[in-house]
Amino acid sequence: MTDRAGIYARIIELIQPLNSKSIVLTENTSFAGDLEMDSLTVMDLVASMEDEWDIVMPLNMLPDLETIGQVADAVMRLVTK
Amino acid sequence: MSKSLIALAPTPTFDALAYRRAAFDTVGEALDYAALGEKGMNFHDARADLVRAYPYAELAADARVRALRLLADGVRPGDRVALIAETGADFAAAFFAAIYAGAYPVPLPLPTSFGGREAYVEQIATQLRSCEPKLVLSPEGLFPMVEQAAAGLCPAHDWTPYFAVPSPVTDLPEAVKTDIAYLQYSSGSTRFPHGVAVTHEALLANLAGHAYCMEAGDGDRVVSWLPWYHDMGLVGCMLAPLANQISVDYLATEDFARRPLSWLTLISRNKDATLSYSPTFGYDICARRISASIDVKERFDLSRWRVAGNGADMIRPEVMQAFVDVFDAAGFKASAFLPSYGLAEATLAVSIMPLGEGIVSDLIDERTLSGSGGGRTDKRQPTRFRAIVNCGKAVPGLTIEIRSEDGVIVPDRKIGRVFVRGLGVMAGYFRDEEATRAALSPDGWLDTGDMGYLSAGSIFIVGRAKDMIIINGKNHWPQDIEWAIEQLPGFKAGDIAAFAITTPSGEEAPAVLVQCRTTNVDERAVLREAIRSKVRAITGMACVVELVPPRTLPKTSSGKLSRSKARSQYLSGEIQPFDVAA
Repeated sequence: MTDRAGIYARIIELIQPLNSKSIVLTENTSFAGDLEMDSLTVMDLVASMEDEWDIVMPLNMLPDLETIGQVADAVMRLVTK
Repeated sequence: MSKSLIALAPTPTFDALAYRRAAFDTVGEALDYAALGEKGMNFHDARADLVRAYPYAELAADARVRALRLLADGVRPGDRVALIAETGADFAAAFFAAIYAGAYPVPLPLPTSFGGREAYVEQIATQLRSCEPKLVLSPEGLFPMVEQAAAGLCPAHDWTPYFAVPSPVTDLPEAVKTDIAYLQYSSGSTRFPHGVAVTHEALLANLAGHAYCMEAGDGDRVVSWLPWYHDMGLVGCMLAPLANQISVDYLATEDFARRPLSWLTLISRNKDATLSYSPTFGYDICARRISASIDVKERFDLSRWRVAGNGADMIRPEVMQAFVDVFDAAGFKASAFLPSYGLAEATLAVSIMPLGEGIVSDLIDERTLSGSGGGRTDKRQPTRFRAIVNCGKAVPGLTIEIRSEDGVIVPDRKIGRVFVRGLGVMAGYFRDEEATRAALSPDGWLDTGDMGYLSAGSIFIVGRAKDMIIINGKNHWPQDIEWAIEQLPGFKAGDIAAFAITTPSGEEAPAVLVQCRTTNVDERAVLREAIRSKVRAITGMACVVELVPPRTLPKTSSGKLSRSKARSQYLSGEIQPFDVAA
């Protein structure tokens, strides 16, 4: 599934095992503030997203991605490129 | 077509050039010599496939052309050239262009996680303000952020178009061994950075010293994923192999973070002996990544891993044992572990374990380590021991002393502050007389800020007297946490004490005590959450936050906040945090 809704749904599934505080995940959930992910966990998630859609997420993209919705948009752009 | 196939052969492990153990006056001269052989750097992608072989000969030629560009742009000996330290040929060529131009290259960090654009821009800007470079160069992808950071401070350029401009040929300046070679920013806090200035002489002495301890030379290959903005990555895994004419296989740090097992794939593939270093967490995430579906014996061959170096953070023996348990099937030998101790202020290495001894540790009573001394007070309570790793003997050219609080040398096996003197000690902190005087005595003794003891010439590090907090190999500073909280209304310096606590598994975690006047438990809960998220937003750390009554934080005799006293009073229960509504 490579439409925006499908990508978002799959990202939620990938994040769920890393959601140690079991918070409710939304488009506006932030990785640092809400999920409190450290950089190693983030890179682990990046690797699983890269495998899922066979994409490469460049390092310089990461500082601008604060929320799950922004990550879904970024994946969408990389998939349709 | 055929050209690209030839270009994609890695540089060799052996060549005809006679081995010279870092015996050069300057690091530029070391590169000139390495360029006479066929060895060099090899860059791989996240799946460990070779994308670029970069022989030292090509690096030297590129760097000389780029040095002319810097000179034409007005860069003069002693000027600083700031460089975003992306692992790749572009950074290496720009670093040595600055060296050949007589300028000081200043490696700057890369972003490491989701979000945090503002914090990254501010970090770069702070380091630029500290080193006042002639210009800053960056890869294309990070250029918009670097340009923003450099606004009003210095010109910023994307290094590809910058170096594409042809420049007139002229003589390059001649460096001498007492000149500063580079500035290193890995040791200061983000908010209050200190650039460590290292001379060519100190650098090459240290590189020769640890190559001697490792018996490094012909037939060895280095494999590294360590970042080039950190001393172990830059000095240990870029400058050391180059000054010792050894080929290196690189994996970018962010690729290692995504696919750590690619590190072990590169080591498995090397038909000759491998030298490779990592902080504790690198071994940890590899061991954790192995699941039942991975056939370790089939997939990896770690039998030729001659030196598996440990350093850059506290070495945790149980993590190393877990790595051995998992990778024994792939032929990994526990005797390949090589504990070491070092810091950027001593170029890199202070001490290294003798080859082949692996990890040897002492079991020490936790109470001895926390300084509370004395025997077991309550016999019904079990004694908690911590394993302290033997970090080996001083590298040639360096002397270690352990001193008490009043500066007296203490006997063997007594814990005190670690001092180091000799070749390899930094020239000072760049343009920071006060910080330099605090760390370096007139007769050349460096106060490492670490606590440890000597036993028959071997050094055992028990912790840091400096307040640094190391998480996943990354250094954090309590000043940065405290500064973050001061940004909230109603808090001022002196109300806040941040420090590291050790979790039962031996990992470090940041904690902060905040004096607060609020009596309502619900308001306290709101306040604590606000503090937690502010620290998270500014430093990226999840911090234990405790609210304490006013005037509980201890001061030093000079009236300054004492983080170490606050820490020990908190751990002993002398400081009681307020209750907070759940």
